[in-house]
Amino acid sequence: MADAPKLSLVLMSPDMEKIHAGALMGTIAAASGMEVNIFATMDALKMFLKETVEKQDFKIGEIGNKLMEKKVDPYYKMIEDAKDMGELKVYACSLVVDVMGWEKEDMLDIVDDIIGVTAFFGIAEGGQIMVL
Amino acid sequence: MADVHVDKSVDARGSYCPGPLMELIKTVKTAEVGQVVEVLSSDQGSAKDIPEWVKKVGHGLLYNEKAQDGDYWRIAVKKAK
Repeated sequence: MADAPKLSLVLMSPDMEKIHAGALMGTIAAASGMEVNIFATMDALKMFLKETVEKQDFKIGEIGNKLMEKKVDPYYKMIEDAKDMGELKVYACSLVVDVMGWEKEDMLDIVDDIIGVTAFFGIAEGGQIMVL
Repeated sequence: MADVHVDKSVDARGSYCPGPLMELIKTVKTAEVGQVVEVLSSDQGSAKDIPEWVKKVGHGLLYNEKAQDGDYWRIAVKKAK
């Protein structure tokens, strides 16, 4: 789908609510035929570590707690489903990975690659970019 | 509604946005072209969101109405491609 409309989401904040909203918008976009690229950087990238999900160690507010209490599909499940339904890729910011000393294996399986901003701009070129 | 033959029905009542849409998409994916998939949803957004998705991806919306026997919606989609 080279001609599909493109949406790129830059996730910066680790807030559960922002990650959830981003995952939701990305999922719907992918399910509607758009090419979706999620670039997780700064503290948002912590939400894509296996350890964070295993320990359920989230920075979370009132709405996020309610989402969990009502067992709404979490962001990582939505992204996993979106990958089955359409074109959605998750990229981890290489700067953060390097300064934190993380490896690709530390990331959730939904993370496709570790790239820098230059590569991300190449991927995002010609589409809409949203920052959360 | 009575004259529509539903091939697959998905009961997504109790599931929150975008759960019913996701369930519908999964079921449409497994259906044959021309088959009708119905989804039952109690989520407030579905009645607006599902028709938008149907329009966007080019399937057919057969009906979208609030059920008489409860606080939920019945939405039927015909797989077009």
